[in-house]
Amino acid sequence: MTILWPIALITFKEGIRNRAIYGITLVALLLFGATALVATMIPRDVGKVSVDMALSTVSFTGLLIVLFVGINLMAKDLDKRTIYTVLSRPISRPQYIVGKFLGMTMLIIVTMSILSLLAMAAIIMLKVLHADYFTRFTWQAIILADCLIVLMLIVLSAVSFLFASFTSSSFITLVLTIITYIIGQSLNGVKALIESPPQELGFSVSPMTMKLVQAAYYLFPNLSLFDIKLQASHALSVQSSFVLWTMMYGVVYIVLSISLAALIFRRKEFP
Amino acid sequence: MRSLVIVIFLFLTVALHVLSLGNAVNASRTLPKDEDRPFVLPSQMLKIVALEFRGLASDIFFLDSMVFIGGTQTRREIPRVKEWEWRWFAKTLDAATDLDPYFFDPYFYANAFLPWDAGMAEEANRILRKGSQYRDWDWMLPFFVGFNNFFFLKNDEEAAGFLMEASRRPGGDPLFASIAARLAFKENRTETAIYFLEETARNSANIGIKKRFELRIKALRSIVFLDKAVAEYKKKVGKMPATIEDLVNKKIINQLPIDPYGGRYYITQDGRVTSTASSELEPYLSSFAKEIRK
Repeated sequence: MTILWPIALITFKEGIRNRAIYGITLVALLLFGATALVATMIPRDVGKVSVDMALSTVSFTGLLIVLFVGINLMAKDLDKRTIYTVLSRPISRPQYIVGKFLGMTMLIIVTMSILSLLAMAAIIMLKVLHADYFTRFTWQAIILADCLIVLMLIVLSAVSFLFASFTSSSFITLVLTIITYIIGQSLNGVKALIESPPQELGFSVSPMTMKLVQAAYYLFPNLSLFDIKLQASHALSVQSSFVLWTMMYGVVYIVLSISLAALIFRRKEFP
Repeated sequence: MRSLVIVIFLFLTVALHVLSLGNAVNASRTLPKDEDRPFVLPSQMLKIVALEFRGLASDIFFLDSMVFIGGTQTRREIPRVKEWEWRWFAKTLDAATDLDPYFFDPYFYANAFLPWDAGMAEEANRILRKGSQYRDWDWMLPFFVGFNNFFFLKNDEEAAGFLMEASRRPGGDPLFASIAARLAFKENRTETAIYFLEETARNSANIGIKKRFELRIKALRSIVFLDKAVAEYKKKVGKMPATIEDLVNKKIINQLPIDPYGGRYYITQDGRVTSTASSELEPYLSSFAKEIRK
């Protein structure tokens, strides 16, 4: 741990100094402004709209951070050749990967906490203005949804580390991570769609496609599991067993991705 | 000198910008549009495409339909809203409530416009039944389904069932149960209708929609009043009045009520009171008149 800490800290500092953070914060502020604007246009369900817009903003800006700050952090050392000076120190390549990932996790948690506070400020403001239309509303549900968003982003970041360990450019990592995000968010829906009875579907699915989707189901992270924004915005009940299993799934997926990334990175040849 | 040239250049560019934008937007209105094809992606597809932003997508679909309704209010042509536009409106609300079946506002809009203005009571009820199933804490949605069944679809049995359901839910008026009973015995249909409308108006957050419901209540009350007068005239005089003014001439009533829709009341050949303007209530009136004449 003592070896990992300096790397984690420097990664975090590098990330927080990134100019892209300013741009992303600006986007977040604009979106929170839009939340306030749109929510006041809704005749009745103001509570629902403000909660799901605020949480969607947190999730979307977090995604931008993972894609445009996180991936750069990993690639910079390789592009600028600073990795040689790091690896010439008494530190192994797996330790380097894990240290970097811890730094990235810190960055996600810190930036997401700030964004969540902004989101809550937006919700509180709307709640004060339209108290009558917040009948179904609990903070617990919102905080839980927020925590799962953060975990989702850490999982996605772990996957991006895995891609970065074997691709040669950060652009390919970016594309692969975006594809993973899209597949991960739509997997559940696609699987449910192709498994529904053909007469309901209107077309038949070939067995090959079925197998492909099933393979993808286990290969790609099931990111839609971490999405309980809908439940949070209507204060619907979420079972604790669901939360525990999902968190465990997230942690296991992170451990798997980072271990694989470390294994691959050990054998990587630098230019 | 040079800075002056730059200022003039910038000024001209801005002017050109405004000019070209205005003309492009105007000219774009002449482009052929894909009208008559109310296309909304199927919900199963939308759920996948929306990724983790289903709630947001639902909000956007609802806002879309809201903006559409707002835009039709200032139209001059008749009919104000075309048939394919209503189909698009229904599909959009259906999509919004498929993306987030717990979202209340699209249901409210479906109920406020589809049965009344679009003549799509069945479609409205299909959407509302979905809402009633998901929002199982909400008395208003089964109440709306019940009303549409009673008022537009003339299905009293189903109306009674949904009203009982509404009365059982938190916040539901126990009175709903007695209306349900009334429906079961087919009594006092008009007062029941007025009560229904009053309840809906009371729960409208949107002032515009509330006003529309109040207008309907007023129109319904006047017509009920005139219909009763016609029945009384028939009993007194022994024949149907030839014109509506006969009711005042024979002192059955003091004066004719004013039609809130701006029309004029008259008696049709089959003895029904109706107005030159309040066609919104038409589906109800024909059955009501039959009942009065019995």
